[in-house]
Amino acid sequence: MRVEFDGGTLLLREASEDVPYAEWDDRVEEYRAPAYRYRNVLEWADAWDDDDSTSAVQESAHQETIQSAAVAVEDTARAYPELALDPALQIEPREYQQAALDAWRTHDRRGSVVLPTGSGKTFLGIQAIADAGVATLVVAPTIDLMNQWHATLTNAFGDQLPHQSRDGTGQTVGVLGGGTHEIRPVTVTTYDSAYRYIDEYGDQFGLLIADEIHHLPAPTYRQIPEMAIAPYRLGLTATYERADDAHELLEDTDLVGPVVYEEAVDELAGEYLSEYETIHMQVELTDDERSQYDEEYGLYREYVDTHDFDLWKAEGYQEFLAHTSYDSDGRRALIAKQRAEELARTAAKKLDTLDTLLKRHHDDRAIIFTANNDFAYEISQEFIVPCITHQTKTDERTEILERFRSGEYSMLATSQVLDEGIDVPAANVGIILSGSASKRQYAQRLGRILRPTDERQPARLYEIIATDTMESYVSQRRREGIEAEA
Amino acid sequence: MLTADLARSRTSDGEVMPLFIDPDDARYRETASELIELFETHVGEPKADLDAVIDQLTVADTDYKIIQGLAKLLRDECDFETVAAAEPREIRQRLFERANDSYPIVRQPTLGEDTQKLDVYTAVADDLGISLAECHQGMYADLDANSRLVRFGDLVAESVELDTNGTSSTTQLTGQSEESYTGKALTVEWLLHRYNLALAQAVLYDATELHIRVWDHFATVFSYVKLFGLMHRIYPIDERGERVSSTDLAAGYEAVLDGPASLFRQSRKYGIRMANFLPALPHCERWDLVADILVNESANETRKLALDQTTGLQTHYSGGSQYDSDLERTLATKWKRANTEWELVREDDVIDLGAEVLLPDFALEHPDGRRAILEIVGFWTPEYLDEKLAKIRRADVENLVLAVSETLDCTSEDIDLGADRVLWFKTGIHVYDVVDLVEEYTVPTSSADSSVGTT
Repeated sequence: MRVEFDGGTLLLREASEDVPYAEWDDRVEEYRAPAYRYRNVLEWADAWDDDDSTSAVQESAHQETIQSAAVAVEDTARAYPELALDPALQIEPREYQQAALDAWRTHDRRGSVVLPTGSGKTFLGIQAIADAGVATLVVAPTIDLMNQWHATLTNAFGDQLPHQSRDGTGQTVGVLGGGTHEIRPVTVTTYDSAYRYIDEYGDQFGLLIADEIHHLPAPTYRQIPEMAIAPYRLGLTATYERADDAHELLEDTDLVGPVVYEEAVDELAGEYLSEYETIHMQVELTDDERSQYDEEYGLYREYVDTHDFDLWKAEGYQEFLAHTSYDSDGRRALIAKQRAEELARTAAKKLDTLDTLLKRHHDDRAIIFTANNDFAYEISQEFIVPCITHQTKTDERTEILERFRSGEYSMLATSQVLDEGIDVPAANVGIILSGSASKRQYAQRLGRILRPTDERQPARLYEIIATDTMESYVSQRRREGIEAEA
Repeated sequence: MLTADLARSRTSDGEVMPLFIDPDDARYRETASELIELFETHVGEPKADLDAVIDQLTVADTDYKIIQGLAKLLRDECDFETVAAAEPREIRQRLFERANDSYPIVRQPTLGEDTQKLDVYTAVADDLGISLAECHQGMYADLDANSRLVRFGDLVAESVELDTNGTSSTTQLTGQSEESYTGKALTVEWLLHRYNLALAQAVLYDATELHIRVWDHFATVFSYVKLFGLMHRIYPIDERGERVSSTDLAAGYEAVLDGPASLFRQSRKYGIRMANFLPALPHCERWDLVADILVNESANETRKLALDQTTGLQTHYSGGSQYDSDLERTLATKWKRANTEWELVREDDVIDLGAEVLLPDFALEHPDGRRAILEIVGFWTPEYLDEKLAKIRRADVENLVLAVSETLDCTSEDIDLGADRVLWFKTGIHVYDVVDLVEEYTVPTSSADSSVGTT
């Protein structure tokens, strides 16, 4: 029997009729099995060597013919190399992290680990990669989280992985997603990109790590573990159970394996949110901005008022949006609303206030938040401040954050990319030039970032908003949200 | 192609239908013409400027999806490039490093701070040997919005120069670049037809299985099936589209297209390939398709998309020439001059070999009813040839012969030239060699008396 990787499946050439997990494919007149059955099929043929990833003696098994008592197997499916990696930073794992790793190992390096947010899931991932010793694909739900994995893995393994180009530049950790398409022995990707390309690269990795694995049971994403041959699999999450019980699929079908370790939430909670002082600042629109704002906002208001939408309710806003798709006045009103918001967000006098704050805090570590890319770039050019947006490529982002962490850069401008779950180096000054109204996002984001640099002065958050605009309401709602939660 | 958010379709009775537009509708013709002109006038300009004028068209227009859709198809015909005097990432890295020692850099300077910003930009510009304006402009020149439109169709910006203040550009345009652009002229006709095709393609993004039936141009259609990595099951059909028992009775072919993993579950995974394949079908004079569109993956809820030649879709894919190679053309010419009863005809049969279809080049027909099929093999490797011969044996096509070039061997290994049913040739194929081989492997056609044997 010859096992071939074929577009996210295993083609079992000249397989006998009793080959398990396979179906007869009349299109090619051969048996075919889902790729995730790779290990099972080899085990059935008595051709699975569980030590083959850790044994130093054995060279790449790629293209190797393994003889066994049961079935002669030629394995051309495996295209992933072995890697001998040691995390650069030898941090002693915390007790529960070690316990989680041990549990995963004794489950044949398969299964999920449930740990609360902020308890070092990424750290566990690094340990697992070093332990499995094979090429690894890390799948994360968002580009931001993918970027964070990239930064962490680069820190841990960057010096040990082969460089892409001979002069030592180029990325050592591969990225698939966010406009980058570089497959390396250790590669990070998003669920969306992984879904798109897994049938091409499903043979390239021996370990599959799925971060926030509770997203994985979605029918589309489920095809990621299905189409990969990776014999080792690790799921990470803080909230494993899904309301639809779909998580059971991951266990029942061997896609990932069972939960091998779980740490309760309350045992670790509470250590992360820090104290900070908030200062609200208001700026006026300029005369030009004010007249434009009033005109656009008036257009919007008029449309909304004449149609009696209850905009403070979700249904009311949906109704408004529905109108905009067939009523050209409605469409215009929507554009007017967007333009008014934009005017308030990027009010010229905010830059004057920022100017003052930068003078006051030029010796501090400051992060400036904007809600849109253009404004972040404008600030970056105006004040010569490093800047990270959705458009920043992963490797440049990793570099900028690293320099901010090391103190090489003391300022950073960014547009909303530092969302929940993202590791951002601490700053003691935050300046919000505009932001979203989501209270949860707001609290998490700032609680993680703002820390006092010395004990005498608390961390400080400035919020600069345009007076008498939609922004003032949003800010009001946001603060109420935080107080209500506290 | 269109992004999913620009797709437009309507669903009724379990059927989904793209909301095609009428290419003769004056409204759309005007919009299309306006858009094409905008693109033409923005060659050499920043992408953000182009995007802004397109957005402006949609401010009070509920057809904004159509406008943005048309614009998307035009953008697909464009090249955008970063234009900067030095590597932008290098420029900004140097700026941030230098700035970090110079903070505060502010807009309303107090005494002693008033030249900080200028100093930083100037110092970095000098380091890199570029002007101050180039330094400022180049800092973020690699942002998508700041990239320049350097080609639209066959309209090429010959040079994009930054003028002294580094913000705007002077551009020379040329109608034809040196490396001639092979695309068609981007006309209103072209755009509106392309749009309709793109609407149908957008529905196919969610397709799990595609049933097609074609009654002509088989070679073209199946070469695109292969090109886009789709798998197939093929059935010969008659004029009415009913399946028939043998390819000899076939007036056309039905094919079910999907991908490797479709064996295990319904998947949208191959929808993009099916969408890519669609433009191959309008090459046929008569065709139809039915696709299963998965609308709700969790509930396995599907709808049907049905299209045929009456939809008026037009293709922009190449249909291939009548003869695939010089070799084939030469053989056809030689055959006309040769003295044999065997007749060389273009073959339109599709032979299903499992993983691929064989689209033979010629059929050889004898007045007495005997018939053989000839395929000319281009570049090959021993493995490829072995596999092909094995497939042919398995597919039971006894009357198939191959002509294989000795000089097109992609390996330097010595190979055994003794394979059956293969005619080896060096530079050209000789008519009488083919005839000899065919005499050996021919079979009578089904319509002829089966007692007719070989000579």
